[in-house]
Amino acid sequence: MDLHTEMLLAEYDAQLPVIQRLQQIVKDSLNQAIDRNGMMVTAVKTRVKTRESLVGKLALKGSKYHSLDDITDILGARVITFYTDDVDRIAAMAEQLFDIDWENSVDKRRLHDLDSFGYNSLHYICRLPKSIVDDPDCPQLNTIRFELQLRTTLQHAWASINHDIGYKTGVEIPREYLRQINRLAGILEMADDEFSRIRTEITDYRRRVQQLVQNGQLDEVQLDGDTFHSYLAARPFNTLNKHIAAINQAEIQEVPLDDYLGVLIALGCKTLGDVEAMKKKYHEAAYALARHQLGNTDLDIISSSVGIQNICIVCILAQGGGKIGLIRLFNALNGENPQNELLAEMTYEQAKNLPLMKEGN
Amino acid sequence: MTTEIITNGNQMIAKFAGRLDTAAAVQTAEDVKPLLEASDKEIILDCTELEYISSSGLRIFLTIRKEAAPHGSKVIVRNINADIRQVFVMTGFISLFEIQ
Repeated sequence: MDLHTEMLLAEYDAQLPVIQRLQQIVKDSLNQAIDRNGMMVTAVKTRVKTRESLVGKLALKGSKYHSLDDITDILGARVITFYTDDVDRIAAMAEQLFDIDWENSVDKRRLHDLDSFGYNSLHYICRLPKSIVDDPDCPQLNTIRFELQLRTTLQHAWASINHDIGYKTGVEIPREYLRQINRLAGILEMADDEFSRIRTEITDYRRRVQQLVQNGQLDEVQLDGDTFHSYLAARPFNTLNKHIAAINQAEIQEVPLDDYLGVLIALGCKTLGDVEAMKKKYHEAAYALARHQLGNTDLDIISSSVGIQNICIVCILAQGGGKIGLIRLFNALNGENPQNELLAEMTYEQAKNLPLMKEGN
Repeated sequence: MTTEIITNGNQMIAKFAGRLDTAAAVQTAEDVKPLLEASDKEIILDCTELEYISSSGLRIFLTIRKEAAPHGSKVIVRNINADIRQVFVMTGFISLFEIQ
């Protein structure tokens, strides 16, 4: 080990506590900014280069560095996103968050020729601005540079495997294999673009569905998890629930109703229009069932699932599903349990003679 | 009405016995307080010997459920009799709990 390397390592040892403090601040700043922007990412990682790793780096190109400040990746941060578009969003966020050393930052995504593929990642060399930390006792927190890498999950997978193959085998990789690895980078780039395109299309689809729901054009909306969720946002069973709650002046506990999707599909609903039609058709019968059940009790608390549950019950009976249909309903909603048979029996007896139930038929 | 709370490893089991009506609810609410402070536990409401539950009892169950989620705990209602299951259906509470 030469004197220059020893000098840089001594500098590293002296600065390590500050770098570790910087690491935590950088990580917290990134996580908080991502949360503030309502984004989801695969991971936010930070690491401080180990002494051993630094020794290795200096052995390869130590003469390039006059002082530790010249090494910009002693502290590294990495944000791994789901989508390529999010790399640019996080980049914009980082530009506002940190002071960027543009001269030393590089967008490796733009370095490839038109006919080449390989490592894709955005590297920013950054410093913490005083707006994030301003400690007169530790001004280095604002001067030490760190590297921020932004890449997608697929880019990360390719880079990790490429690194593993390239560095760990210890032998030079034949050109043929390097070409195969780079070909994979091309495929993953296409996959990344496809994921982004699909996300954009799904977002557009959700917007269109929400618009149709808002406009009441429910017959045109196919019933699925997404569309049902949008439909539920308009609280379509609120009127029935309030009607039922009025029987005993009950309070209503809101619960998610998404689990009813499978039941509604099993009952033949294909569009949100079918659900709406079913709701209208069986509103009175569902209310009558609740009145019959709750009217003789002092139960003054109900959940917001009562309305849709009773609609399903009366619909099953109106369609001739009988006790078997009710057992299937309770099994679907509450899990299979021998008591569901008894429950179906009781519910069937309560419902079968309701006048509105007969009209529903 | 009695409530016994047993801690068994990662589980906290509340064994209810008798009629959980309005009169019993005040004491029961006091008895289940350890469940409200539990973190990262599987909370089992053992209703094997519970004969009846009123709205006040349902509110106690609801409070336990509401407190469990932010504390990383989950609530399971176990062995409710047919009458209580009927109450859970009539009120829609059956959708609120995992019932075994």
